Amino acid sequence: MEEANKQVPVTVLTGFLGAGKTTLLNRILTEQHGKKYAVIVNEFGEQGIDNDLVVDADEEVFEMNNGCICCTVRGDLIRILSGLMKRADKLDAIIVETTGLADPAPVAQTFFVDQDVADRTKLDAIVTVADAVHLSSQLTDHHEAEEQIAFADVVLLNKIDLVDESGLEVVKERIKKINPFAKIINTTKCGVPLKEILNLDAFSLKRVLDVEPDFLTSDHDHEHDDDVTSLSFVSNTPLNMEKFQEWFGNLLQTKGQDILRTKGILDFKDQSDRYVFQGVHMLMDASPMGKWPEGKERSSRLVFIGRNLESMNLKEGFENCKSA
Amino acid sequence: MIADTNEFPELDKTKFEQRGTEFKLGIPVINAVSIGNSIAVGFGDGTVRIFTSGQCSEPIKAHKGIVLCMSKDGDHILTGGDDGRFLKISLDGEINEIGNFGTRWVDNVTANNGNLVCSSGKIVYLWSPNKKEPKLFEHNSTIGGIAFDAKGRRLAVSRYDGVTLWKKDYTNKWESSNLIFKGSHNKVSFSPDGKYLVTTMQENLIRCWRLKDNVDFAMSGYNTKVKSFAFVGETSYLATSGALGMGIAAAICWPFDGDGPMGRKPTCLQYSGNNQVTFVEPFPSEKAVFAGLSDGSVYLSEIEKSSNTIIIRSFTESEVTSIAVTEDCSSILIGDMGGNILWTSIWDEKKS
Repeated sequence: MEEANKQVPVTVLTGFLGAGKTTLLNRILTEQHGKKYAVIVNEFGEQGIDNDLVVDADEEVFEMNNGCICCTVRGDLIRILSGLMKRADKLDAIIVETTGLADPAPVAQTFFVDQDVADRTKLDAIVTVADAVHLSSQLTDHHEAEEQIAFADVVLLNKIDLVDESGLEVVKERIKKINPFAKIINTTKCGVPLKEILNLDAFSLKRVLDVEPDFLTSDHDHEHDDDVTSLSFVSNTPLNMEKFQEWFGNLLQTKGQDILRTKGILDFKDQSDRYVFQGVHMLMDASPMGKWPEGKERSSRLVFIGRNLESMNLKEGFENCKSA
Repeated sequence: MIADTNEFPELDKTKFEQRGTEFKLGIPVINAVSIGNSIAVGFGDGTVRIFTSGQCSEPIKAHKGIVLCMSKDGDHILTGGDDGRFLKISLDGEINEIGNFGTRWVDNVTANNGNLVCSSGKIVYLWSPNKKEPKLFEHNSTIGGIAFDAKGRRLAVSRYDGVTLWKKDYTNKWESSNLIFKGSHNKVSFSPDGKYLVTTMQENLIRCWRLKDNVDFAMSGYNTKVKSFAFVGETSYLATSGALGMGIAAAICWPFDGDGPMGRKPTCLQYSGNNQVTFVEPFPSEKAVFAGLSDGSVYLSEIEKSSNTIIIRSFTESEVTSIAVTEDCSSILIGDMGGNILWTSIWDEKKS
């Protein structure tokens, strides 16, 4: 536990150009009095950033030599985070601002892949700032916009004063279809209490336990094959551990590129502990998380966000994992 | 009776600690470089201190954040910082700013034949002794490390997907060629005889090129990224940080004599404790290596007679980040992430 306390939380700010990332960044920096932040930016100089410690990064992505083409990481982040962790004055938090067209996956994967980074920092949450006026067209035109929504723990739906109520509902529905688990916060000029976006610990396995089972979405309109959607499954029958590992391992190995995020709580037959995992593409963080709470029904819950999910026979695969 | 654990503190200390001087500065030690019989130390608060004969100078306020990298040019210290500055500092603390790159960090510094060299982002900058403006060596991605060969005619620059090798022809013009291997390359070094080039990578291995025919191969088997490496002796060994599986710290030493390390096994110098070797430093002119561990302990071993291992410093519970030996080989300085520094003489009184 002491180890965990030493890790500096890293918040990733994504969102299209003009959505309001820099406004949010400056809000965080000016409102958090007495806290020491490092800010890692890519478009420095566009608008002034009001902080002592601003680091210019190059957003350089490279593939790890581990045979997996979706295992891309941000090399510049490894270098900068390692450097920041050598400072004598300890940082309260680090904020990484990505460019408008960035895919958040390499940023998230950096925290799985580099041991030094994982030892000393932790990914706190991915916060996506979205422009309520332009998000719909951006989602249609740029797959990066979809990915930014798909990876988000929080979507800050900004500039809501510029759309009418029905327009707002349409945008929200679109977000929910891609990612029903992200918390959507309506704002104008990114006015949001900071506790809603900082220190969320959204990537910890404990938070996976909060995933609610009532998220089954059945109202599938006809979608384009490459739209990002989500699917989730619940089972009250315990799972066979071997069958599950074989199915899930094979699934990630062959379809990892299309599966953006996964989360799950698993009830394995003859196991007294709950198993919890969360992952980005092929990379997983998984662990037993103690006994099932007394008096609560044991059940397995599994969530996928990704492309072409319909073609993966997920329901059938999951059903086959149920213990006989 | 009440046992007082503080009553015999000296018993836990090595003879090197007992006769040396300890400093508990509480500021992370990032790097150390010997200059004559002094050792310059760069810290995680941007300061540099000069240690001489077991005495510590006043801090020199070099950089705003941290001293990211350090080297020397004759009797001067070169430093690069996260404030984007490239500095040349005299031993009495006079600072001369060579370059300033603002919010871009200076990640590597070195000097060769009076040329001052640093890297910031994707560019290597070289200041010749008689020129005001630096020469620029541009690359496609951010630079991991820079290294000159012994003669200063070749400059190796590691980056994503390999190394750019700059060669100076006889008209003193620099020409570049590429050594390609996919992935992120960090530190780079020529072997002392100039026949090999090695890099550490983001993966758990060391990549090596034999330069006469550009054949490349990996030295692998590590369970973590290689943080530190150093050539020991004239053409003998590449010592690296590491561990043997879980729980046995080891400095892995690859043979570079004869036909090089391809197809040969390394010598593993093992140390007690369930740790990693985090820093290696050659003992100048000997086939011996100082190994610093993640628990703060430091050992000296002869590579070919590994039974001759002695403990220099016992544990501090903080990762060793720097070891430097004075140029006359009389004294050693050890520094760690917790800001503990030990200065001690290497030889017993009667030998010195």
